[in-house]
Amino acid sequence: MTVQQQTGPQPRFDLKASAWSRRKKRIKHDLLQIAIIVAMVGILIAFALAVRNGLARHGISFSFDYLWQAAGFDISEGKTFSWSGSLPNLTDFTAADSNAQALITGLFNTIKVAVLGIIFSTILGVMLGVGRLSTNWLVRQISFGVIEFVRNTPLLIQLVFWYFAVVLQFPPLAAAAKLYGGFIISQQGTYLPWPVLAEGATIPSAVAASVGIALVFTALFVSAKLRILALVAAFAALALAIGLGFPFVLDYPVANRFRASGGIAISPEMAALLLAIVVNSASYIAEIVRGAIEAVNRGQWEAAAALGLNRRDTLSDIILPQVFRVVLPSLGNQYINLSKNTALGIAIGFPELFNIYGTIANQTGRTLEGIVIVMVAYLLLSWIISAVVNFANSRLAMGTSR
Amino acid sequence: MIASTIRWSHRNLFAKPLDAVLSLVVIPLCAWALYSGGSWVFQGAQWGIIPESIRVLLVGIYPADQIWRAWGTLLIFGLLFGATLGCVFFLHRVLALGYCLVVAAIALVAVYSEPTSALLIVAAAALALAGWFATSRWENLRRFLVPAWTLGLIAVFALLSPPGIGLWGGLMLSVLITMVTAVLSLPLGILLAFGRRSQLASVRMFCTAYIETMRSVPLILVVYCVWIVLPVLAPQYSVPDVLRGMAGFTIFFSAYVAEYVRSGLQAVPKGQVEAARSLGMSELDVNRYIVLPQSLRVVVPPLVGNVLDVFNAAPLVFIIGLTDFLRAGQMVLANPQYSDRTYEIYIFLFVTYFLIGSLITFAARKLELHLAKGAR
Repeated sequence: MTVQQQTGPQPRFDLKASAWSRRKKRIKHDLLQIAIIVAMVGILIAFALAVRNGLARHGISFSFDYLWQAAGFDISEGKTFSWSGSLPNLTDFTAADSNAQALITGLFNTIKVAVLGIIFSTILGVMLGVGRLSTNWLVRQISFGVIEFVRNTPLLIQLVFWYFAVVLQFPPLAAAAKLYGGFIISQQGTYLPWPVLAEGATIPSAVAASVGIALVFTALFVSAKLRILALVAAFAALALAIGLGFPFVLDYPVANRFRASGGIAISPEMAALLLAIVVNSASYIAEIVRGAIEAVNRGQWEAAAALGLNRRDTLSDIILPQVFRVVLPSLGNQYINLSKNTALGIAIGFPELFNIYGTIANQTGRTLEGIVIVMVAYLLLSWIISAVVNFANSRLAMGTSR
Repeated sequence: MIASTIRWSHRNLFAKPLDAVLSLVVIPLCAWALYSGGSWVFQGAQWGIIPESIRVLLVGIYPADQIWRAWGTLLIFGLLFGATLGCVFFLHRVLALGYCLVVAAIALVAVYSEPTSALLIVAAAALALAGWFATSRWENLRRFLVPAWTLGLIAVFALLSPPGIGLWGGLMLSVLITMVTAVLSLPLGILLAFGRRSQLASVRMFCTAYIETMRSVPLILVVYCVWIVLPVLAPQYSVPDVLRGMAGFTIFFSAYVAEYVRSGLQAVPKGQVEAARSLGMSELDVNRYIVLPQSLRVVVPPLVGNVLDVFNAAPLVFIIGLTDFLRAGQMVLANPQYSDRTYEIYIFLFVTYFLIGSLITFAARKLELHLAKGAR
């Protein structure tokens, strides 16, 4: 996203201009400036008035009161804020909740898909981008084929295909439960085992186990020396947790005839939307990554080879760290596109923000007010993503000498 | 032969242990996918549905007795596309031969179902070839390209609208939306790009705000919003859905075009502007004759890529109830007697989209090479 302000054109130096003519020029410039602002504001006001008159002709006024009325419909997934006493907490949405809470549920679902999509598409995208440059001919060709195919067909048809031709063709729940055991992949949804607090778990053991697991993950991202330290600490923490009675157990999903309980559930709509968005964005990210890898100076590869590093170490320790610094702004744009693309969920009935807005607009007739809200929500989402990426970019760029 | 195969596979598939492992995993998977896919395509699939529903897929619910209008559109577009191609790729003998072969193959397939359509397809292809030949041979003709496109689009509108604009559908609608958006968003985008680097802070601010807002919200929201707001603004005219959709697409994509054009404007060396000013050219003339031509040269490939983006976004018009190519496919599937042909229809849609998309991508890449020749 192009957030940074570009510098305006420099004033021209005019030899002949006397002080008076320069002042005259400036006044002219300022008057023009004011005239344009007045014209723009006038157009905006005229636009608003025309909309209001148009609405008044249908006997509708522009107001946001409907937000506090009861929604009167159910949403299949997602959480919303509700007030228990004075503290807000996340609860399931029910038909008695207000329209505003319904919109929050939609936003929750949008953000959920966007965040998961960003994580998975980055992983898959880097894999595809590296695969495009693999020394293995077949891997190279397959990566190329996937990227070209995805980039040259519409996302919407991919989404619809994933939903109707893949996710909905999974076996029904009763058959699926026998096929896949702990994981249930079925028409009615995908269920994964999920760690939950065991009965009788104590707080110290839970803390120790969480710290241990967190340390294992941090060990993946730190330098070799720290990694050993982190792993030792993780081992100690986990040992302590086990000594105190291990607090987490895996909650396996159990299938009944029509629904499954336990574990964590992913609805078919969400699975299809996530698959479509991840594969689509990954192809674009792969091209960004490939371009950046190819743009890294050949001397870097040669120097790494001269030091005796193999291709894998060269890639992971020398090339990719440089690549990430270069691609971050482009990735940011891609992440914004991804979060915008979640709005396509309406095509398959995933209850994201735009879909919920549509339902509310149908029920209350408040189309324009809702559009303002939804637009502001997407704007904020895009700005937050670009702010985070810009922040990461500035932090990463600071550490380099170039 | 065998030795060279072994040498090739040793170098490309089994060069290193990791490669060998990857190959051993990927080759059986590919073989299985190819085998099962191939056996389905040649034995399991019932492709009869495609010729049966081809009219719905291509023109939607456009009335059958008015179909000659759609053929007329194809002829006009054939000529215009050919003429546009001729500006970039010189018509070599090899190219012409390959082109004729492809057309002959398509015609053969069409003859199998309907001889009239085969004749018309060949006619459109011949017109395209004629246009291609004309503009690549006589360079003087190229300056008429922009007026020709404008006239052509107007002619297409005049030709297609009598039965009712609301009846447009299928692939025809997707192509029309793409064309209109591509043509209209270019001048708007150029204006916005200049506005974003104007000397007047107010103009700069408004253009930046417009561009950044459009780039931050989903297209589907913009299209829907325009569709809702237009009748409220102008209740006395009933604007057809198709035109409202095109307006939404144009409003959205002009922001993207503006960003491409701006990147092109930044690529023009400062010396060019200074030289033009020192010759005493007015600010308008500097931009019109010096900056814009040079920057458009840089941005033509990304703009062609943008056309692909528009085409790929066209299915989003389902939100305002239009029947584009994808929707037409779903309409065919909604017929209970065809409901088990999901894969046939989707594969047909995918292949068509992919062919058109690859063609546009290919053209953009070739253009980039072609235009880079003269660059410093």
